[in-house]
Amino acid sequence: MAVLSLALTGCIPGRDGDDSDSASGTPDKIVIGATLPLTGTESKTGARFKQGYELAFEMENADGGIDVGGTKVPVELQLLDDTTDQAKAVNLAQRLITQDRVNFFLGTYSTALVEAQSTVAEQNKIPYVTGGGAATSIYAKGYTWVFGTLAPVANLATTEMEWIAEQQAAGALPKPAKVALVWENTSHGKDFRKGVQDFATAHPGSYEIVTDESFALDGKDFSAILSTVRAAKADLFMVDAHLPDFITMQRQYLSSNMCHQLITYGARGTESDAKTALGQTGVDYILSAVWWNKQQGNAGLNKEFVEKFTAMFGTAPEWYQALGYEAARSLFTAIARAGTVDKAAVRDQLSALDMDSILPGGKLRYPADKGGQADYPFVVQQNLPDGSSPIIYPAEVATGKGVAPNPTCHG
Amino acid sequence: MGEAFTLAVSAVLLAGFYSAMAYGLGLIYGVLRIVNLAHGGIIMAAAYLAWQLFDRFAIDPFLAIPIALVVFFAVGVAIYLGLVRFIPRGPAGGVQSLLLLFGVWLVIRNAAYLLFSGNEQVIHTTYATSSVSLLGGSFSVTRVAVFVVALVTLLALHLLLSRTFLGRSIRAVAQNPESATLVGIDVHRVYVISFGLGTALAGLAGVLASTLFAFTPSFGASELLKSFVIIVLGGLGSVVGIALGALVLAAAEVFAVYVVPPYLTAAVGFVLLVVVLVLRPGGLFGQRVLR
Repeated sequence: MAVLSLALTGCIPGRDGDDSDSASGTPDKIVIGATLPLTGTESKTGARFKQGYELAFEMENADGGIDVGGTKVPVELQLLDDTTDQAKAVNLAQRLITQDRVNFFLGTYSTALVEAQSTVAEQNKIPYVTGGGAATSIYAKGYTWVFGTLAPVANLATTEMEWIAEQQAAGALPKPAKVALVWENTSHGKDFRKGVQDFATAHPGSYEIVTDESFALDGKDFSAILSTVRAAKADLFMVDAHLPDFITMQRQYLSSNMCHQLITYGARGTESDAKTALGQTGVDYILSAVWWNKQQGNAGLNKEFVEKFTAMFGTAPEWYQALGYEAARSLFTAIARAGTVDKAAVRDQLSALDMDSILPGGKLRYPADKGGQADYPFVVQQNLPDGSSPIIYPAEVATGKGVAPNPTCHG
Repeated sequence: MGEAFTLAVSAVLLAGFYSAMAYGLGLIYGVLRIVNLAHGGIIMAAAYLAWQLFDRFAIDPFLAIPIALVVFFAVGVAIYLGLVRFIPRGPAGGVQSLLLLFGVWLVIRNAAYLLFSGNEQVIHTTYATSSVSLLGGSFSVTRVAVFVVALVTLLALHLLLSRTFLGRSIRAVAQNPESATLVGIDVHRVYVISFGLGTALAGLAGVLASTLFAFTPSFGASELLKSFVIIVLGGLGSVVGIALGALVLAAAEVFAVYVVPPYLTAAVGFVLLVVVLVLRPGGLFGQRVLR
């Protein structure tokens, strides 16, 4: 059977999970529908989000469930496999909402799937929280039932630029700095470009964008773009790319003997796959930024999350699990604050949410002026030759000091 | 001038990989008149074979080429004997073969998902980021090695088809299977060998791809499309034409950056495909007979 149905606290679909409360006015259980790409091209990431959901549900039910108007109500996850397929993500969401009548919805992963699926939630007026869609286009449609835990990719660029500005102020990087901006032609890449451009515009005289080029996914040869970058004589090489293109481009970059005072591939660089593909020296001093990192887990909510996750799964969490966990936790919080499973009341609580969070900045909100998309800084990391990738920015969560300019560049 | 030279060399090196990618598809089409839609799946499977040999037994991908050729020749023979031979020859079997081989591709892809998950895999050799200098430019050692392998393959294929009895048999069957039968050629045997050889060449392309790119079970789709563009550009069924078609596609993609934004360069090949099909349906080099 192509569709995999998983329920953490039982495999029975939540047909009784609608708004029809028991005699006391409180439901026997709250059923939350979700789909994730558990097979197909995004299966690796889907499995990680599933772990985040599982931990959040486990922790909530360990405490008796969600406190709904003074009564603890168990919460059940009805999770289906959308096989990384847009049509299936839409159809399964429709089924969960209209046939299985789940109370609320946790979204799938990847911009394309969330973009399609969120429309179903909006049409059916059901609160929809996703930890897997970062593109601002998802939240620019005026939807009022859709909430995103991933901060915009523009923030990734902004946070990196803030660290770069600090290095400029310290005299470690040139000012003005010539920037070679290269981005994949996707919503992810466009948001990254916007972040760099907006920051450069807001700091006149500090940056000159000398190359601004995009490329299609799964490129086989980047020699033309790299040739343009070389000719521009940039100081900073700032790229936004997914893993396969990052590996192909960085291999060509290195074999072309190119070097810049600073190099970043957006979120890429710290993953073990990158080190496997390029070797340690191939990723040294690459700057990267992600939504969350386990090195933040030294205190408070982060410490609890990292410890419980490690105990449950025997491995340390990455940002995917953290974002899945926070998406579920924010929905639980909104239900508890609403004191009811009424969808509109929970939607209003999500809109007004301001909760302590494991995410950078320590707070999670879904601001209306951002279309319900969370807005917080990223954590910037840098690969060092000893194999470590400490957080180097923001200062309050930093676990190490960054290096600029790139010491491997000579001349 | 220096930049143009660097780009020209890059285009030639890319053409090496592209031609290796398309030989197998061209050979099978030239002899059996079948578009092998499983071609992309074979390329992907060979990349995984190279990765497994490297990861488990530390066999360098370039040294794994003979293993891949033998394995995928056997796979090709098995696919032909088990499936393709039951399809009617000629136009009657056209749609059936497309559907059948598309199904084979889906099976291979899903088997890879089951075995290896959807994680990206990469092979990091000691020379993965090494470069060689040529007239002031620096070029990837891996890309140069891939080009050399593609060139050797072209020469070997050319010699096979022009200097051996088997090659002459293949060309005879490609031109007219009925007449080939009349002169004593075992057409069925030629079909089996050609399908096996074409699949082995797809396997070779997969091994080469594994040295250049990260791959997942969905790898191979764009390789199939580009291979199709190349054999149409080069003239359906011509091995030398395939090499030239690969060079045209690679040069168009690399130099298109002067004309269109880089993100559109991948589409240049498909525009070329349409233009060539309209203006020169026999291919740029006008050869319809395998040679």
